[in-house]
Amino acid sequence: MFEQFTKDARATVREAVRDATELGSAEVDTLHVLVALTRFPQGAAARLLGGLGVALDDVAARAQLARRRGGLSDADAEALGGLGIDVDHIVSRIEQEHGPHALAGGGRRARGHIPFGEQPKRVLERCLREVIMLGDRRIGSEHILLALAVVPGPARDVLSGLGVSAEAVRAVLRRAS
Amino acid sequence: MTEATDLAAKAGDADPRVGLRAVAALRRLLERLEAVQVRSARVHGWSWQEIAEELGVSKQAVHKKYGRR
Repeated sequence: MFEQFTKDARATVREAVRDATELGSAEVDTLHVLVALTRFPQGAAARLLGGLGVALDDVAARAQLARRRGGLSDADAEALGGLGIDVDHIVSRIEQEHGPHALAGGGRRARGHIPFGEQPKRVLERCLREVIMLGDRRIGSEHILLALAVVPGPARDVLSGLGVSAEAVRAVLRRAS
Repeated sequence: MTEATDLAAKAGDADPRVGLRAVAALRRLLERLEAVQVRSARVHGWSWQEIAEELGVSKQAVHKKYGRR
């Protein structure tokens, strides 16, 4: 499957793995993949986001906030708020006692290969389906963006919080193909 | 609160999507809190047995999950 990726998409996946390694994460998650997309401003996904009026820095900042909350998005925090659970209060208490980014789950010393988590695997599978449905030939970073906007999880929440829906991304890709 | 927004709020509470999201988010938060506390206990010199007893799980379970990390 990897050989059907564009150069752009391959660079994104490698960057996600590199980021996970640098942060000392236990596995590669969808937030790593989302942040990786923002690291290539000339990439297809970054240009598509720009076309939708979204700043790459905002995407990265919101992803980082979600990571700091242990992978919980604004929508998650709101849902827990409905139960009377104040996520940001918990995060700040834990950080007071255990240091900054304590809930981000990083800081491990990498022992070789960092595995892909369940969610990014689902994202990559979804990519393939979207490419087939769009009638495109190869998987580009724009398809990774689309799949991130489809598969439920913190990356999708970050995107939808910035007004980026799967439908909006798909519409742009349909026009292009 | 107007009657309409009150109704909307009530309808929102009953939305399974919100309830399920809260459960999934709580589970993720719980996993992270557990990891933080287990690591902290190890740093403080606790044995796996002691940690397992506090968590109410078997020593094997906690060691399998957090050992060698």
